[in-house]
Formats: sequence, structure tokens, C-alpha cells
Amino acid sequence: MGKEDREVRMSLQTLKVLEAFLENPTDQLSGAEVHQRCKIASGTLYPILLRLEAAGWFVSRWESINPSTAGRPRRRLYRLTPTGLKRASEVFASFNRGVLA
Amino acid sequence: MTSERMVDWIDRAAVCLVENAARRTPEPLSERLAEEWLADLAARRSGFSRLRLALGCYWATYSIARERRVAVVAAASSRLAHSNIATFTDENSPVFSTRTATFLLVVSLHAAVLCGLAVGVSSKFIKLTPPRFEIHRIDQAPPPVDLPPVAKPDLNAIRVDPQKPVDDLTFEPDPPPRSGDLKETPPRDAEGGTGPLTPPAVVINRVQGGPGIGFPSAHDFYPASAIRRGEQGIATVRACVDGSGRLTSNPTIVQSTGSSRLDDGALTLAIAGSGHYRATTENGKPVNSCYAFCIRFDLRN
Repeated sequence: MGKEDREVRMSLQTLKVLEAFLENPTDQLSGAEVHQRCKIASGTLYPILLRLEAAGWFVSRWESINPSTAGRPRRRLYRLTPTGLKRASEVFASFNRGVLA
Repeated sequence: MTSERMVDWIDRAAVCLVENAARRTPEPLSERLAEEWLADLAARRSGFSRLRLALGCYWATYSIARERRVAVVAAASSRLAHSNIATFTDENSPVFSTRTATFLLVVSLHAAVLCGLAVGVSSKFIKLTPPRFEIHRIDQAPPPVDLPPVAKPDLNAIRVDPQKPVDDLTFEPDPPPRSGDLKETPPRDAEGGTGPLTPPAVVINRVQGGPGIGFPSAHDFYPASAIRRGEQGIATVRACVDGSGRLTSNPTIVQSTGSSRLDDGALTLAIAGSGHYRATTENGKPVNSCYAFCIRFDLRN
């Protein structure tokens, strides 16, 4: 995945995903948790997560658990990068000015 | 299929879909996405939610693969210092992307199915639906009235003296007839004499009863198992009914349809019709009676 800061096409679903992460920017969310918060179908959600990660807005890592101990597979956790936080904030701020990003 | 087996089947189908979808993504991503999606699949609670996620992953595969292709082309273009190669590739891409083609294919299939149902298949299904059923009642001829045997008078035993004037003959008036005892009242001949007895002129106007207004339809009692087997026939049912049209005993099958399912349906119908029978009347007065009627289970029309 490229980590460069790239432009991301803003769609309503992308904004919903960013909004879920901006509630608490330090949160690390799995795809299932993002789905619970945004109610976005998985067919749309995962491409958005990968797109934002490729653009350098998100970073992801595997959950640090032992699957055999936890009794469930480890999840992939996403969180906002400082760049992502800055860009997402700008996007929502532009909405406040009535200008689409 | 029990619900547990169905949920198990859905789970297995969801896992297969997710694994298959992950395999379709570009190589460096497939292993990661398979593990990530399976973990998210396990986090879902209901079976249908898991299946929906799996289908969504399958759908996401196309988006991810397409974006990856564009990214690879863009990277190659930067390496080759052709800044516009990505644009060129986009311009020369097929008219329909894989996702669009899949969408059009699904829409076409739906349209084909709808057209098929609207044009040809629907009429075929309509023919296969069970037709309306009718009850054909066959009223039996009223049974002959049981009259007491009348002894043939012995004409030789009556001797009338021709010399004796007729005026001397005395008669005692007949006692008034008791109501309901008409059969036992000996009739007198036309002249009122002691001539030969004629057969008792008892006339009972008996109207046979049968299924009446509000009697249930055979359609409602056509056993589903018999419909599936294409069984049809006519059952003759004997029912004993009181003056108010209610059954006084359980109805019985007089003549079977040949199918125990249809016979059971006929008996159920006959029992359900209690209270809706038309009572037999004698001289306009409803009486208890037993009679047979037919119930036809017919798949024609």
C-alpha cells in the first residue's frame, strides 16, 4: 500500500466512514465496527477503507491477540494518520463553509 | 431443512464466498483480505448478516481489482515518464467495466425472468393451479312410505241378507282420528258401509333433505396431499340430521372415492357442515332423517 498523501474522491459513503473515525480520532476500528457505526454495505466499505489507506489517510495493523485464546480470528484495525486527520478535518470544515471538497 | 441446518449452510456458503472473493483480489491483498473479511464475518451475529457481508465482499472484489489495475498503470506510467498514459488507458478501457457488465447481466436476467413469467410461463402455472370445486348433490328418491300390511278382506265372510231392508242397518260413528296416528286409522269405503277395505289413503309429502345454504365448499376441504397426487373422485356420504339441520351422529362413507385422503376430506366436510344441512320434511314438518349425498372432488376446469 502506498502511504503517499493523495487526493481521495469524496462520496457520501467516504464521508460517513471519515465521520466514524473523527468521532474519536485515536480509535482503531475494524471493518465490522465501521459497518456498525456507518451502516455501509461491505461491498462499498472495504474498497473505501483500502482507498483511504492507499492514499495515506489510514494505517492498518492486525489486532494483537492470540486467536486460539480469544476464540475468534484477529481483526484488521484501521486508524487515522495525522495526515488523514488533517485532511478529513479540512473536508468537513469546507462543508461548514458551504464548499464541497 | 431445520433452522439449525439452514444457518449452518448459510455460514458455510458465506465462508466460501468470502474465501473465493479474496482469491479474486490482486495477489498481495488476497491473503490479508481473506483473514480480515473472515474475522469481520465472525463478528456478525445473524446468518443472513454474514451472508450479506460475504456477498458484499464479492462485490467489493471488483472495485478493488479495478482500482488496483488503475494504480498499477499509473505507477507504470510514472516509471516510463508518460504522464498521460493513465488517461490513455482510461480512454481505451472497454465500454463496460466488469462491474457494469455484471450489473447489466443481472438486470437482463431479471428482465428475462419477468418476461417469461408474464408471457408463457405464467399461463402454464395458471393451468396447474387447482380449479374451483363444485359440490354436486344427488338427492336420493324418497323411500317408499312403510304402510302396514292390510289384510285382504274375506268377502265370503260378510253376508248381507238381501231381504232385510237397508234402513235397518246401523253403524257406529268412527272415532275421531288421532293426530300422528294416521297409519293406524282404518279408512272406510266410499259408501261408508262395511264393504271391502281399500288400501289406506295415507299421503305423506316427504321432501328429502341435503346440504343446505351455508354448507362448506369442497374446495376448502380438498386435501392438499390429494391435490399434489392429482386425486379426484366422488364420495357418497351418509349423514343423519335432526330437524334443525344438525348432525345426530358421525357421518359415514357409503361409497368411497378410492382414496383414503379424499374420503377423510369428505367426512371432514360433512362434519363441518353440521347446522347447515337442510332437514327432511314430512308434510312440511322437519323430521330427523338419514340420507346420503355426494361430494365431488374434481381437479378439472
